[in-house]
Amino acid sequence: MIELIDLTKIYRGIRAVDGLNLRVGEGRVFGFLGPNGAGKTTTIRMMAGVLKPTSGRILIAGKDLARDPSAVKRCVGFIPDRPFVYEKLTGLEFLHFVGSLYGLADGSETERRIGRLMETFELTNWGDELVESYSHGMKQRLVMCSALLHEPRVLIVDEPMVGLDPKAARLVKNLFRGQAGKGVTVFMSTHSLEVAEEVCDEIAIIRSGKVIAQGDAASLRAQAGVDGSLERVFFTLTEEGRAVHG
Amino acid sequence: MGDLAVLLGVRFRASLNRMWRAGPGRRKRIIVMGVLGAAFLFGLFLVSCRVLRYFQSVELIGDLLAHQLLGMILLTFFSLLLFSHVISALSNLYLSRDLEFCHATPVSLEGLFLSRFSLTLADSSWMPLIFGIPVFLAYGFVYRPPLIFYWSLVHLNVAMAMIAGGLGVLITMVLVYVFPARRTRDIVMLMVLFMVGVLYVLFRMLRPERMVDPDAFFTIAHYVSSLRGPEWEFLPTHWATEVLWSQLTGGSGGRRALYTALSWTTAGVMVVINVWAAGALYFEGFSKSQEAKRKRLGGRARPGRVQKGLGRLLGRDMAACMVKELRCFLRDNTQWTQLLLLAALVVVYVFNFEALPLDKSPIRLDFLLNELAFLNLALAGFVLSAVSARFVFPSVSSEGRAYWIVRSSPMGLSRFVLGKYLTFLAPMMVLGEILTLLTDWLLEVSPFMMALSGVTMLFMVCGIVALGIGMGAMYPKFDHENIAQVATGFGGVMFMIVSALFIGLVIVLEAGPVYLLFRAQAGGIRLGPGLRLFIAASLAAVVLVNGAAVYYPLKKGIGALRNHE
Repeated sequence: MIELIDLTKIYRGIRAVDGLNLRVGEGRVFGFLGPNGAGKTTTIRMMAGVLKPTSGRILIAGKDLARDPSAVKRCVGFIPDRPFVYEKLTGLEFLHFVGSLYGLADGSETERRIGRLMETFELTNWGDELVESYSHGMKQRLVMCSALLHEPRVLIVDEPMVGLDPKAARLVKNLFRGQAGKGVTVFMSTHSLEVAEEVCDEIAIIRSGKVIAQGDAASLRAQAGVDGSLERVFFTLTEEGRAVHG
Repeated sequence: MGDLAVLLGVRFRASLNRMWRAGPGRRKRIIVMGVLGAAFLFGLFLVSCRVLRYFQSVELIGDLLAHQLLGMILLTFFSLLLFSHVISALSNLYLSRDLEFCHATPVSLEGLFLSRFSLTLADSSWMPLIFGIPVFLAYGFVYRPPLIFYWSLVHLNVAMAMIAGGLGVLITMVLVYVFPARRTRDIVMLMVLFMVGVLYVLFRMLRPERMVDPDAFFTIAHYVSSLRGPEWEFLPTHWATEVLWSQLTGGSGGRRALYTALSWTTAGVMVVINVWAAGALYFEGFSKSQEAKRKRLGGRARPGRVQKGLGRLLGRDMAACMVKELRCFLRDNTQWTQLLLLAALVVVYVFNFEALPLDKSPIRLDFLLNELAFLNLALAGFVLSAVSARFVFPSVSSEGRAYWIVRSSPMGLSRFVLGKYLTFLAPMMVLGEILTLLTDWLLEVSPFMMALSGVTMLFMVCGIVALGIGMGAMYPKFDHENIAQVATGFGGVMFMIVSALFIGLVIVLEAGPVYLLFRAQAGGIRLGPGLRLFIAASLAAVVLVNGAAVYYPLKKGIGALRNHE
């Protein structure tokens, strides 16, 4: 469903993403882990079509993002780490606006989807409020509604848990598993190893723009040659743990 | 004082970092802007010298006119300073993003207020003062005063800026304190009304029409005495004018010391009053401005009839973008309230044409009127350029940090840019045609001239708006703190220059044919085939230039957005 081929991004001579190769199958929840500055957000922004790669290809649902961006974006839902939205629109207006951008027909089906998502994300009472009055977590939930509105086949999520309270975080975890159950591929970056272990079918660890380990939790433990928590595995693989764990 | 030094020092350090650590692209922009700015200021200096030399050549009233002009310039600067202080005080004292952090630190309220007061003073004063430099230097160049004139120029301008700043900040503090929670709509509305009122009063005090209409007075002596007539003596600009004028002309310094003392004591008192008022009003006002606002709009979120109609015509995505643009604009108080100022500008513009004493002109009236109508095209074009710099140019940047929504959506960037273009085309067209046709009607120009002006303006608006959107897309600033700042950056200045060149080119291309047609009409002459061909070629060139002004900026803008990171 998602294929990254030799994906590279160079910023002012620095290789933020360095020849990345990944394949993620349909209906999988894929976790993308790495320390700060490893290239996670850059990769995700390239996959969402917000950033242009220096070289390499991004194939989603069999289509090349560079060749047919509109077709690819139509089947992708993107949730960025910082939920900046139009502050002067109400929540409902924003969702209708996004629906129009993704080519949803104005009608009862769109209304039904919006109503259901607002209810799922507990925003029903806030639909007529300007987004500027929302808290960070509410904005994040609104952005999730907008990403799911056109029923995408792929969800690309950057740091989904930032700013969410425990209840909302649980809701999101269930949502990702539920979406995967319906055949949606979820590609998410996260700092939270607990979330990665709990939700993801497969995890890739990235450092300096390159994947250094990939597989399920058990396979990562094997690659790192350590037992115990995923945190220990992560530190061993990224070599950051030496100072911490001694 | 220690707090003040720390708070101002950090801003100074940030500015230095911005300057020294700028990349080569930014440094190049700074150099280009510097050269352009210097050229403009030098041009202003030359024009001012020419005007003052002309005044000097007019017997009896020449010096009086120069004196009056100095008073007018200072009064205009003072009103501009007051105006910009009110605007930036709101942002510096209440809306800046770093205020929350500053208020959480143990810095004294007095120190914090004084630092914000100083920043407001610096932010608001540098531009009017820099624009004043060439004009004041021209006075020095023409009148050759002693060196003390230049010293007075510096310190009196500083005192004037402090008085205007003190007034502006005080008004802002009182308004924010009086209005509960974050009712910026009411505050900004009141501020705009207040400022329009102040501008009107200052304008009436100047009575500029008396300078161009000597016939309104019974005798020359009456006219001269009217020019000599004092302005309101309590105005700080009157004090500065009198001190500077007496030094320029070597007059007796009888009241010089008094006026200098008045300027500085008033400036000092304004600061003291502000610090005292801040103790009572500032923190409470800031606290109120932080309170969460909840406003249930309850309007229809679903696409209305207009959006559906537009959607059928242009596609649902583009229609949604256009309606979104309009909604965000009308709900942003810092944006729509400027429309009131725009309306005031239009009224003043049209009123100026109404008030022109044309019947006293020695030139044939019909010829003069049509010439004026032609000149009006250029003036209206420049007004549209200025309006576009504020509203059209920042339109792409106005997406701000929410730009990812459009970028990650399936809507192509060409449709996004085209949607922006079409959103602004209609209102700008209406404004352009009002400015042109209404003034033409007031001037009672010939139907031919009216039709020509109307059609030319139609074309020019298409070009100006395309330049605004296209160049706005070429120089986007999505991480702006305040959308009004987008227009004052490098891209905004480049837009103003290119737009002025475009208007100039259209006017030059049309001037020849129009002159030939009027001469033929006035003399009852038939134009030969050569001249007819020349006219046709010139008008075709106008169409081509306009076509290019629409096509290239939009194309370049779309390309730039595609490569934007």
